[in-house]
Amino acid sequence: MTPSKANWLKKASITTISLWLAIFVFIPTLLVIATSFLRVGENNFVIFSFTLDNYQKILDPVFFHVFFASCYLALITTFVCLLIGYPFAYLLTQFSPNIRRILLLLVIIPFWTSSLIRIYAIKILLLQIERSLRFFYPDVSILYTEMAVLIGLIYTMLPFMILPLFSTMEKLDRRLIEAAQDLGATPRQTFMRIILPLTIPGIIAGSMLVFLPVLGLFYVTDLLGGAKNIVIGNLIKNQFLVARNWPFASAASVFVIILMAMLIFVYIKSINRFGGSRHEKVQ
Amino acid sequence: MYKWIITLLTLLFLIGCDSKPKEVLNVYNWSEYMPEDVIEQFEKETGIKVYYSTYDSNEAMYAKVKLLESGGYYDIVVPSAYFIDRLRKEQLLHKLDHNKLKNWKNLDPLFLNKEHDPNNSYSIPYLWGTSGIAVNTQRIKDPITKWQDLWNPKFKNKVLLLNDVRDTFAMTLTLLGYSINTKDEQHIKEAYEKLKELKNNVRVFNSESPKQPFINQEVEIGMIYNGEAVMAQRENNNIKYIYPQEGVILWVDNLAILKNAKNLQNAYKFVDFLLRPEIAKRICEEIGYASPNKEAKQLLEEKIRNNTAIYPSKEIIEKATIPTDIGDTIRIYQKYWEKLKSEN
Repeated sequence: MTPSKANWLKKASITTISLWLAIFVFIPTLLVIATSFLRVGENNFVIFSFTLDNYQKILDPVFFHVFFASCYLALITTFVCLLIGYPFAYLLTQFSPNIRRILLLLVIIPFWTSSLIRIYAIKILLLQIERSLRFFYPDVSILYTEMAVLIGLIYTMLPFMILPLFSTMEKLDRRLIEAAQDLGATPRQTFMRIILPLTIPGIIAGSMLVFLPVLGLFYVTDLLGGAKNIVIGNLIKNQFLVARNWPFASAASVFVIILMAMLIFVYIKSINRFGGSRHEKVQ
Repeated sequence: MYKWIITLLTLLFLIGCDSKPKEVLNVYNWSEYMPEDVIEQFEKETGIKVYYSTYDSNEAMYAKVKLLESGGYYDIVVPSAYFIDRLRKEQLLHKLDHNKLKNWKNLDPLFLNKEHDPNNSYSIPYLWGTSGIAVNTQRIKDPITKWQDLWNPKFKNKVLLLNDVRDTFAMTLTLLGYSINTKDEQHIKEAYEKLKELKNNVRVFNSESPKQPFINQEVEIGMIYNGEAVMAQRENNNIKYIYPQEGVILWVDNLAILKNAKNLQNAYKFVDFLLRPEIAKRICEEIGYASPNKEAKQLLEEKIRNNTAIYPSKEIIEKATIPTDIGDTIRIYQKYWEKLKSEN
């Protein structure tokens, strides 16, 4: 390929992606932000007059309740995913590259099936477990409990925790660990002072990839939780469709977007702090 | 090889372009709500090409129809009664000329001239059904006769409620003796308080496929649409459908022509076609809900016609209420619904 041709290809693909993002991400987001400042009409979805009422309604106790309930689910999910994913990712790096590739493939394979279908499968599985348990404990219930929701969320989100952790751990300079051991560090000290600080970018990236989507994964609470609780995703959807309150639903969306932006800001900051200094050392 | 494929694809594309028919009709209906062969027969008889698209909730349909109002993208929609009410009030529907529908006489007067559309100026009933109680009689031996029975403390963690704010509030309002279309916040609040007492009994909210938890024996009693109950019954003979004493909720889905329809005459032809007794019968048989077409009912197998879960007695129908549009009050309902779900 000649350089000019490669250049042309590069420009074309960048233009396509930018256009795509502009049309399907940027403009819709702007519309949502604009809608969040409008009034809701009786016979129209919105009335074009400026107001901040919708943001005031976010302070409504019902909204806050839903918001905190979602955050609580997301936090527990993130924490458990980290607890399982961290040792798992570390173990992965201990295998030879060939086996590692196969194991990574096994982590990724579930993505080939729609997560909705996998949640249905888990539902059937939990139902069977519950039935078997009922022989011994007649009153036990697993399906349609908070526990079932958490199982579903953790199952769905675990790969998102493992993959970024694995990629930071793979890059971990083993010489640093050897040096620590040579200098007489105990395994605990090696972990606390070498491995953990160096993998913090992976922990933060994984936690964000788990925490944020959980706020919107309404079908897990619907299917495994029996729709007895609502997460912020349900609330926004219902406000748009059932209550026809587009401005308030938009304000709630903007609120979640701002929350995400803040978390990403923290992430970038932490990358600069931890990731940056590591690169200097390694190179 | 590649040349072959490309030529073939081009040819197919050209055929696709060329066969664009002059006479078309755009139908926007619930998913799995009209048998394909019925549409095919209409196309064959009239030469009108039907473009058929689907939705899965009244709300989604309404949003699309409203936003695309001026475009005339759809000719026929099939909203439930309370959305007919809303669309009609917002002047989005075409005022019907009943003379153009020679099969109009086949409709049962029991379903005509209701509150949501006086004189049926804008809508034609398509299928109807009820929301009542389903009970697994193998597990629950007590006689179940009324909505209040769901509140029995014995049924802790055994009850199913529909995951639909209007349906579930309608049930509770009926039980409290209020109108299911009340706009009084006090009544809605009382219904919410009442539902809160029921929350301990509720195992699951489901309105997409309420039959499934009954078939899987995840629940033993609860609210259900009659068609779903009939299907559950086929899997498990112990599941019975009960019309509660306090009154049942009746729903009717209706054909309506949009005001900006581009293919008005074709729309009339299609509606009239669907009103033919043998066509209405086929729809009823395949979809599993009752037809408001009284001639079609006569054609049905006795087994279906006499199944009280599908066709309740006239007294029950007359006593049942149909949800109508409640305007902005839906936001108050929604507020209490979210409150109900978010509090433990």
